[in-house]
Amino acid sequence: MAKRRLFKLLSAVVKIKPGEERIALFLFLYFFLITAPFAIVKSIRDASYLEDLGAKSLPYAYATAILVGVAVSLHARLQARLPRRTLILSTLVFFIAGSLIFEELFATLDWEWLALVYWFWANLFVVVLTTQFWILVNDIFNPREAKRLIGFFGSGGILGGIGGGLLTGILAKSMSHRLLFLTSGFLLACVIVVQALFAWLKKKNEILEVGTLPPDQRKAGDRDVGFADCFQAVKQSHYLKLLAASVLVIGIVSTFIDWQSKTVIVAAGKANASFFGFFNSGLMVVAFLFQLILTSRFIERFGLRVGLLVYPLLLLLGSTGIALGPSLLLLAISLKGMDKALSYSIQQSSRELLYIPVMPDVKYKAKIFIDMFINRLAKSIGGGILAVLLILPIRQMHNDIVLVSIASGLFIGAWIIINLRVSRAYISEVKDKLGKKWERADGVVAGAIDLDEVKKVLDALESRKQSPELFALHLYELAKDNKLTSQIRQLLEISTQEASPSAANPLLDGDQSPRVPDFEEYLPPAEMNKEIQEILALDSYQQLMNAYAGKVLDDENASSETAKMELAKAIGWMNGRSPLAAKLDEFLYDPSPKVFQYAAESAGRLRKREYVPILALKLADPRSQEDARAALEKYGEAITGTLIDYLTDPEESLDIRKGAVSLLARIATPEAAQALLDGLAKGTNGLEEDLLDGLDLIRSKHAEMTLDPDLIFSRFDQDIQRLREPRSPADLLPLFKLLGLAYNHEDVFRAYRNFSKGTKDSIAYAVELLDNTVSQDIKQKILPLLEGFGSPKDRA
Amino acid sequence: MVIQKREKNNVVIFDVEGEIKRSDTIDVTLHQLVKEQLDTGKKQILFNFDKVEFIDSFGVGEILASYISTHNLGGKLKLARISKKLFLIFQVTMLTKVLDIFDEEDTALQSFFKE
Repeated sequence: MAKRRLFKLLSAVVKIKPGEERIALFLFLYFFLITAPFAIVKSIRDASYLEDLGAKSLPYAYATAILVGVAVSLHARLQARLPRRTLILSTLVFFIAGSLIFEELFATLDWEWLALVYWFWANLFVVVLTTQFWILVNDIFNPREAKRLIGFFGSGGILGGIGGGLLTGILAKSMSHRLLFLTSGFLLACVIVVQALFAWLKKKNEILEVGTLPPDQRKAGDRDVGFADCFQAVKQSHYLKLLAASVLVIGIVSTFIDWQSKTVIVAAGKANASFFGFFNSGLMVVAFLFQLILTSRFIERFGLRVGLLVYPLLLLLGSTGIALGPSLLLLAISLKGMDKALSYSIQQSSRELLYIPVMPDVKYKAKIFIDMFINRLAKSIGGGILAVLLILPIRQMHNDIVLVSIASGLFIGAWIIINLRVSRAYISEVKDKLGKKWERADGVVAGAIDLDEVKKVLDALESRKQSPELFALHLYELAKDNKLTSQIRQLLEISTQEASPSAANPLLDGDQSPRVPDFEEYLPPAEMNKEIQEILALDSYQQLMNAYAGKVLDDENASSETAKMELAKAIGWMNGRSPLAAKLDEFLYDPSPKVFQYAAESAGRLRKREYVPILALKLADPRSQEDARAALEKYGEAITGTLIDYLTDPEESLDIRKGAVSLLARIATPEAAQALLDGLAKGTNGLEEDLLDGLDLIRSKHAEMTLDPDLIFSRFDQDIQRLREPRSPADLLPLFKLLGLAYNHEDVFRAYRNFSKGTKDSIAYAVELLDNTVSQDIKQKILPLLEGFGSPKDRA
Repeated sequence: MVIQKREKNNVVIFDVEGEIKRSDTIDVTLHQLVKEQLDTGKKQILFNFDKVEFIDSFGVGEILASYISTHNLGGKLKLARISKKLFLIFQVTMLTKVLDIFDEEDTALQSFFKE
């Protein structure tokens, strides 16, 4: 009951699925309880530093970030050795103790550089606790879940910032450093929430990262992870290097903005903990509203690429603004506020989404290096650049703030370029998660087996029983094509009872067993071929065999079938203009499927126009349609127009029209594809499936061929309507085939292959790829259908 | 190419020796010889290819032309002792369906009288 009420409450503000309410709430509270003390810690950090050391000393503070590297290295080792739960709880206890110690030091120790030491500890506080939280989020969720929920639990962090900021603002005037007691209180509450979270995860048998396994169950390489390992993990991945570059540039720009705003705030006489408390709280309100209401929806609606561009573009605007009005407090506050609000909302969410497709064992090393070290290093570098800019002779001519704005603008430009590359690389990472690409079975078979050769060998085998001439014809054909290998020769020499007695017959041994002669014995195949062709071209030969053919065609006995087969096959090797070739159509009309088989084969070789109508007619005969199709395929592009006529003639038999579709798909010219697409768009009755299959075949073999998306999706709503109640992934295959016509075919079918696996994660990654591939209007129609499918276990 | 003619049981037998190919220059072709016999009223012809070493399409053309001429006049032309290679070519070109081919001369001669 309580669970249902909780679900109802949460689903009002976030796209939550049943069963997700507890984990979403736990993470919301967890994040709230670590960011509330952040606001306190940071307010004290800024106020005490500016009060004791001044704004001009800020570059020294930024430089302490380099020391974070040492801490990162230590944390990385601990992360590899300890289960997640132990590490997080120990860290929380460490910072509780630290808060209490600093509280005492601020009260009793009169040392101006304490503020610098505290600055370092405060940064460590923020970096370690935030990174641990996001590593846990990465462990638990796949990209689709994260996209939906990140706005919600991310807003817990923002609310924490608001609350912590407000508390600081109100209480700082009377109990500035005692606020660190409050920090400890929040962290203690966080310990309780984290305990409850892990207890729930254990109950749900959720498998977490390697760090949760006992040391003896971990792989050898994971036990000792140092800073160097984390660095290597990032160095070996182009994608992670891009993420690192992005974080580096963001950190530098953020440092510039931080310095600019603090300089103006100090000049306005507002540099105290209370001001910073209210200021942080205010910007968190903006960030909270953005996070809760817009972030997930924005990213789902416009995609990750746009999500990654919003932050730098708005900062560019703000930075330009402050350059025009460098002394205005409101501008300074707005710029700083915009920086942090966007950073805590859409930027944070987008960045965490980018980590999700990374392999788990690499991900946590990457996050340690990038989020902890690079993030802090960026501050140091930013501080270093600031120090250089502030001592440049040029500053005599330009206001410091304007100069830093120009520097910001340059770095923001680089940032935008990096983010564009990151969004492209993200799609590649998602594809890599989708495993092997889709391979059509017909392509696999064709690659492994020469089907034509197999057919010829089987025909040769059968022909041994039919007639020596037919057998000889087949052997000759195999020899001519260099297919008469020793294995095939052995196969064909298997003894039969039906050998014809003749000592002169080279196709028989002395004991009348079949023998396959080595054509090389008599003449090299090339020369024999030449001789045979010349004989076939002789006027005397044509005259003789024409008369023979006439007798055979007039003979209605069953025994004439073999003779007809022989002639039908032999005609295929003659000149198309020869008198005997003119008789081929009589063999094509023969009611015997075997005679038609050989006649069709010859028709495919001769490719005369007059054979096309009868071959097309035979597409309707199940016994002959494959032979007819094979023959017509040999005509290639030359009969595209004729096939289109058959396809578009509503009076024509459905089987013939289906045959025409199949052939057009194999011919696969742009004209053929267009005809099939026109048929699909018109909704040709009884042919929809064949037309879609045909176009799918074309796209699979000719990825470069583009088809008109307006035609592809012209009946999309009706197609979707038909798929309202899919019972299995196979029911959705037509949808994927349709998508494959308009978008990258390989990507779409990689997604389908994983979608049809049916597990929660495989469906999520498949949907994520499509989310980043298809257009917005199509996405809106298909994603709900795919996401609602779920894994078989879920649906059960 | 050397062609010897003899008669046996009213059948004209041409014993062909050597190579029958287009590049050879000869005074009289096989077909011409057959026609001469047909002109004299002899309509039962047998080609003995026991000693033929090589025959190309020209040679096959001669055989076929001879066959046609003979049959057009109501006669019969048969072949005996052809090589395995020629037999294979005749099988591939379907000529075994039209031409009467025998392993031995005697069998061939007997076949003239069975019909």
